[in-house]
Amino acid sequence: MVSRKAVSTSMALIAIIIVAAIAGGAGYYVGNSLGYSTGYQAGSSGGFQDGNRTGFQLGNQTGYLQGYQAGLSKGAPILPDVIKIGCLMDLSGGLGPMGVKIQLGAKLAVDEVNARGGIRGRPIQLIVEDTETKPAKALEAARKLVEVDGVQVIIGPLISGAARLVGPYVTEKRVLLITPSVSGPFLSYEFANGYVMRVCPSDELQAAAMSDLVLNGTHERIAFLIMNNPYGLGIEGEVKKRVGNGTITINYDETKLDYRAELESIKAANPDVVVHVGYYEDGKVVFRQALEAGLENVRWITAEGCYGTPMLEDPMCAEFMSLAVTGTTPKPITGIIYDDFKARHREAFGMDPEVYGDTSYDAAMLAILGIAYCGEYNGTKIRDAVLEISKNYIGPSGHKMFKPNGVDIMTASYIIWDIEEVSPGQYRITHVAEWSPPSPG
Amino acid sequence: MNLAQILFDSFVLGSIYLLAATGLSLTYGLSKFPNFAQAEFITFGAYMAYAFSNQLGVHLFLAFFSAFLSSGALAALSYGLVFAPLSRRGSSTVQLMVASIGLGLIIRHVSMQVWGGGILSFRIFFPIYRSPWPPISTSLVWLSVVVDAAVTALALHLFLTRTRLGRAMRATSDNIDLAKSSGINVGKVALQGWFLAGALAGLSGAFLAAGTTLVPLLGWKLLLPAFAVTILGGAGSFYGALAAAYIVGAAENFGVAGLTALRLSADYRTAISFIILILLLLFRPEGLFKASRRGD
Repeated sequence: MVSRKAVSTSMALIAIIIVAAIAGGAGYYVGNSLGYSTGYQAGSSGGFQDGNRTGFQLGNQTGYLQGYQAGLSKGAPILPDVIKIGCLMDLSGGLGPMGVKIQLGAKLAVDEVNARGGIRGRPIQLIVEDTETKPAKALEAARKLVEVDGVQVIIGPLISGAARLVGPYVTEKRVLLITPSVSGPFLSYEFANGYVMRVCPSDELQAAAMSDLVLNGTHERIAFLIMNNPYGLGIEGEVKKRVGNGTITINYDETKLDYRAELESIKAANPDVVVHVGYYEDGKVVFRQALEAGLENVRWITAEGCYGTPMLEDPMCAEFMSLAVTGTTPKPITGIIYDDFKARHREAFGMDPEVYGDTSYDAAMLAILGIAYCGEYNGTKIRDAVLEISKNYIGPSGHKMFKPNGVDIMTASYIIWDIEEVSPGQYRITHVAEWSPPSPG
Repeated sequence: MNLAQILFDSFVLGSIYLLAATGLSLTYGLSKFPNFAQAEFITFGAYMAYAFSNQLGVHLFLAFFSAFLSSGALAALSYGLVFAPLSRRGSSTVQLMVASIGLGLIIRHVSMQVWGGGILSFRIFFPIYRSPWPPISTSLVWLSVVVDAAVTALALHLFLTRTRLGRAMRATSDNIDLAKSSGINVGKVALQGWFLAGALAGLSGAFLAAGTTLVPLLGWKLLLPAFAVTILGGAGSFYGALAAAYIVGAAENFGVAGLTALRLSADYRTAISFIILILLLLFRPEGLFKASRRGD
């Protein structure tokens, strides 16, 4: 009995020692890393006392000393030896083929500045993470960029779903996010004056263009036929703010690809204008079945998702569009700045820039200029600098001055388009007008 | 609300479901497992119709016939090379079902290698008909599918009741051991049944793709309502499936009208087949029409 008791007592002791050792090790590690980073920040901002106290309190002297010395050697302005810029790109998944090319825009901006010696002699490093066209993957990658690489500014992501998840995270971490392509109106409301910016126009502007088309006619009964996803619902919400809720709203499944029942309900509501948002795949079916249903005597207004020659491959769809549909789409970028960018892009990578390649370049260039302007590697300061310099920044994708909400660019123009039957069975897209938002005052 | 139009649309959808589900019901009866590769027989038919009509310039009628034949051949091959050997080796229902999912994926991805993963259009302008009374508006492709399904149903009825092969097929479906002992070549009968199942599926895919658009998941999207139809009709029963196809078609069309009237998203329409399926499995797993099968 006695010996067994002694054994169990000594086992317990050993267990306690092991636990204590692990806890001690973990504590040392946490203390060391916390102490180091806190000490570094405190030291680098020049506050010896602050750094000393915080560093000491949070962990151990070693961490503090390292941090302090690292900070001292830099002095102010404070820039790291290598300036890191994070990049969330869909290099695989649904948008993969596009993302691989879109990232080249950002890469070009970084390469060009590095070729001229970087920022104050410090090179810029673009750290690209593949987000696989998956929102959850984007958040994971953003965490890696912020917590492992320590970036203060990120270019991307490309899709709305990813921006929804990454936005709150960067806001919490005070890291600046500049997206080249997320157009969902929700960004403007959810992240106003925060840490999310976009250099492409919000769908709110397109919705305003569509609303003007609706309001320019004498329409009393408005129907909404909108695909049920963030892109469709975003535009629907913005149009409804301007023209009211209309007579009927149908949100359809964009993968169902058979909409006779939905169109029948639209027809039963007897509208004089239908506001539609869809993509090619569903749009083709909606329009050809609208022709079957006899809805060509109603005016249809659609968005950028159905702009393009693939829509004209289906003769029934093309015929319907020529009879009834008017649409909007962002005005393609032209002009000498874009042409020059295109030439540089071609020289660097042997190919023309992808759609959003220009905004990807502008996002990266604004980030770089922002860091250079404020002379500090700090998300909040970079953001304030970007808001300031963007007033005078005109890049390949246009003038990037931001609205007071700090999220959206001020201006963007839209094309109003029609489909024209040039000869029996031959159709083409014609640009009938241009639309710009009213001047902000 | 235009009742005539909704009824007509229900017939159209029911006709597509009928063509897609008859095969499912037939192969379930003959081989006793739910064949998920049916979805790809549907899509394959659509691709073949597209290839003949758009790429080879054959008349649409012939293109559809080619779709019928090639999907039938694909189904017969699937049975002969995959499912028959597997069941000879004593594979269970679950194993056969999983094999059918795998085979389906292979067929789908091979098709995508050939025709790409994008959206294809038949590029055909179907004449549009508008009747003042009853107020129905439709195009030739949908009229054809209604007529085609009706003719198919009649032909199948005659085939199953009046021909030797048809009766052998029903006998095999009812009781395979009894059929064997009565001297029926069960393997051959099953092979022919599978051909028919695939052929009808291919036809449904060709109609649907010509009337809408052709995507790699065309058949997969049709599979759930097809299963709902098969189970509603009592798995393995042709006459049950016949009635069930039009019931599910009507449920979906009236469902969308109802959803819209209730200001709900029409996106829920896909759920309608699901709900029918779940309710049936809960309350009448043998199908609505199983009891009346004695008269078949």
